[in-house]
Amino acid sequence: MNRRNFLKTMGWGGAGAALTGCDLPTTITLEEGKEEVVSYLMPEEYVIPGVGVWYASTCTQCSAGCAIHGRVREGRVLKLEGNPEASLNNGKICMMGQAGVQGHYSPDRVTKPMVRNGDTLTETSWDNAMALLQEKLGAVSGDRFAWFTGTISGHQSALVSNHLDAMGSKQHYVHEVVNNSVSQAVNRDMFGEANPRVRIDKAAMVVSFGADFMGASLSPVHYAGQYAKFRTKKERGLLVQIESKMSLTGGSADLWLPIKPGTEGVLALGMANLLLNKIKVSDAGIPNGVRKLIDEYDISKVAKITGVAGHRIQRVAQLLTERSPSLVLAGPSVEGHAHGYASVAAVMMLNHILGNVGKTIESSGQFPFPQLMAKQGGTADLLAFAEAAKAEKLDAVVFYGSNPVYSAPKALELNEAMNKVGFKVAISQFMDETTEVADLVLPVASYLEDWGTQVPMQQSENSAIHVQQPLMEKLYEDSKGLGDILLSLLKQRNNDEYGKFEDYYAYLRNAFAAMPAAVKNNTTNNNEFWNNTLQKGVIDVASSGGKLKSTVVSFADPVSESANADGLTLVPSPRLGLYDGRHANLPWLQEAPDQISKVVWDSWAEMHPTTAEKLGISNLDLVEVSSAQGSVTLRVVLLKSMHVDAVAVPLGQGHEAYGRYAKGLGVNPLQILDATTDNKTGELAMYSTRVTVKSVGPADSLSIVRMGTGSGDSQAGRKLVATVPVEQLRRTEGS
Amino acid sequence: MAANNRSANLNVQHRKGFVLAWVFGMVALLLAPAAIATKYDVNAPTGTHEGEDVAQPIEFPHNIHVKDNGINCMYCHTYARRSKVAGIPPTSKCMGCHKVIATDKPRIKKLTEFWTNKTPPPWKKVHDLPDFVHFTHEIHLKKLVFDRDFPVENVKEVCAFCHGELENMTVAKKVKPLNMGFCVGCHIANKELGAPGDCWKCHK
Repeated sequence: MNRRNFLKTMGWGGAGAALTGCDLPTTITLEEGKEEVVSYLMPEEYVIPGVGVWYASTCTQCSAGCAIHGRVREGRVLKLEGNPEASLNNGKICMMGQAGVQGHYSPDRVTKPMVRNGDTLTETSWDNAMALLQEKLGAVSGDRFAWFTGTISGHQSALVSNHLDAMGSKQHYVHEVVNNSVSQAVNRDMFGEANPRVRIDKAAMVVSFGADFMGASLSPVHYAGQYAKFRTKKERGLLVQIESKMSLTGGSADLWLPIKPGTEGVLALGMANLLLNKIKVSDAGIPNGVRKLIDEYDISKVAKITGVAGHRIQRVAQLLTERSPSLVLAGPSVEGHAHGYASVAAVMMLNHILGNVGKTIESSGQFPFPQLMAKQGGTADLLAFAEAAKAEKLDAVVFYGSNPVYSAPKALELNEAMNKVGFKVAISQFMDETTEVADLVLPVASYLEDWGTQVPMQQSENSAIHVQQPLMEKLYEDSKGLGDILLSLLKQRNNDEYGKFEDYYAYLRNAFAAMPAAVKNNTTNNNEFWNNTLQKGVIDVASSGGKLKSTVVSFADPVSESANADGLTLVPSPRLGLYDGRHANLPWLQEAPDQISKVVWDSWAEMHPTTAEKLGISNLDLVEVSSAQGSVTLRVVLLKSMHVDAVAVPLGQGHEAYGRYAKGLGVNPLQILDATTDNKTGELAMYSTRVTVKSVGPADSLSIVRMGTGSGDSQAGRKLVATVPVEQLRRTEGS
Repeated sequence: MAANNRSANLNVQHRKGFVLAWVFGMVALLLAPAAIATKYDVNAPTGTHEGEDVAQPIEFPHNIHVKDNGINCMYCHTYARRSKVAGIPPTSKCMGCHKVIATDKPRIKKLTEFWTNKTPPPWKKVHDLPDFVHFTHEIHLKKLVFDRDFPVENVKEVCAFCHGELENMTVAKKVKPLNMGFCVGCHIANKELGAPGDCWKCHK
């Protein structure tokens, strides 16, 4: 029985009494003599019970790498906040960062190494685990060994590379569902840098084609900080958001324009047409082919294709010329099509035409430690991995920080592919879908228990390395830090070089000592540098100046055949909170309502009321969303913040594993995506799957919880605020 | 870090207060041993509670320590003036004396056993407040003892406001209600002295 049915059975009114499973533990009471109060055996130096001390560390809840402060009391980390020393996030963190403590204290952590024994995983010792690794990895060589990770940076990333070198392999698959790989390719071709620094704060106007920079982006806190400056400038910045499904950023826009999915490139060409042909902006630097393409897209044609009214396009183009410098951004919904590269190129070309390059798009300079820079993930590596595995080209793979079994579309047949990988090692904190199919599971320490360095991929003006230090002792003795696991793997291959490091702490100290004097603030005292760094949490490293070029590459016509076809396109929308599904096991984030639909603890399909009416669907119906690859069944929420040709199913739910909080909730739209790829970069075209929607069950307002929409019990049957009978209160508190 | 500076300053003040109170106390003892002269008078909270007897792992005799041997409350509950919690003394503190004192007594034998096993005794909590109440020993001691120039050697009288006369008990027993009425009553009675009446002072 899943939660939805359970609540339905219980009914709403009297649910509290029956939910004994949710009762507060009996040890939390005011009654005398029930709770224990344990003293220290020996007082810890600098520890005063009841007084919290803040220590600096780094968040790893997404790949942005914000610097944090954690409040530690009686040896427990209790609260996280942003570290004001870091200009990246400037003392702020997001909801995912706040929820970090919940992952750390989760009751579903993997606590012991486990080894596959037929169909099950059984606990084993680290000695046995390491011996097995020695044996299995020793028998593999070259590219038949691989690492499969999420975006990874800092010294951990360097050690992964070193391990691959030691194994003689070049196979490092880096996979992220939320990525900007296509934009990176465009940026590299047009500006000469994959990740130029975006300056929303310097722009007078931002036109964002589906870039949810304040929501599920690659550095939400950093961009939200820029946005705050953009909005509080003397002349308040103007935000126009163009997308098929309203995002958190779209919700804040001055003008929100719904657009037919996959036609963003066409709209950009239409704007270019207006700018060049009507407003007479210079067309210098635009290749002939592109110039011709622009001329083809006059305003009436563009309005017809995109569904955006001509006068609105004109107004946005006009505003862009009046407000300078401006900034035009492209997000994942522009990238995720077969013509994704062309669409992004068309959008980014507007920056060239408007002269924004060098003003609101700056060079991020040369980072002095290239080996520590983030290896950024995309979906092309997932496809490459699936292919290599299916062709039985991989004998041993180590998985860390990514959950491909969950996030791969069914069309990639990853389950079958995984079966063909000889030996799968999962370095994991939780029993997620990928860890469940591993042959060896290594329990990794949480980021609040571990050492490390993180290099944010979206740097602010002052680029920095963020230092991660343990905020408390490990909760589980048998878990190991990622760096320590990497070191022991390296020692098995190359003991001469790595044997001298007792642990990852020693390795990091050595690495810090070896940093150039300029970075060390010109101190020669390594202890002083180390202590100062831990206190501050941030190492400032100056990125030396670079200069962007401003060119326009030739690109194909960004209109796809399907854009003219009738029917619905699936928008698998990520959101700040559950993100790509990695935070589905954190109740705080499940509890935080979706920013637009207000739904909690569930999946839903989002549609425009007009579309629903045409299909005979009413609000909160049970609907089946089907693609060529399969279908998902879920409740529908009708909202006008959708384009009529789009249906959105949010990412994050539909876990078949991943602990008690995540498992069995909602559906996973990634499963039904087509395996179409972007023609140029080979990235998965995630936003191009065509679907049909039909009602399969009547509306039922009790089966989905939407916060603040005026229905149901505000506590939804959960004991958010516990109550006790008056009699008990009298007994404990006197009268 | 800010938190450290803050507590460091308070420590200085405390120390100053401590010395002043001591000097003042000695003078007071010489001149008028019957009455304690303080900077200002405070009204004690009112109300009683029939607490339950709590079985502790070791029947710790507060009476022997406080009444018979005159040990100051804050000698063991040393965090009271620095933190929101008074703190149960670390086992090492007990052993500081009981390595040599009364080592043949059954209770000390039991304590020594805990010490040798390197586990602190699992004391049972007697005085507790709900998590939504922010009570701090530190501020109460500042206002009721240090700022007031109340002689620190008599601090047990202030502790007794909320904890009862521990000098006459073995293990602690809850004898004051410690409910909202109890707190608010005292705060109203001492309003003139700056006892806050805002909800958020405690519920924050």
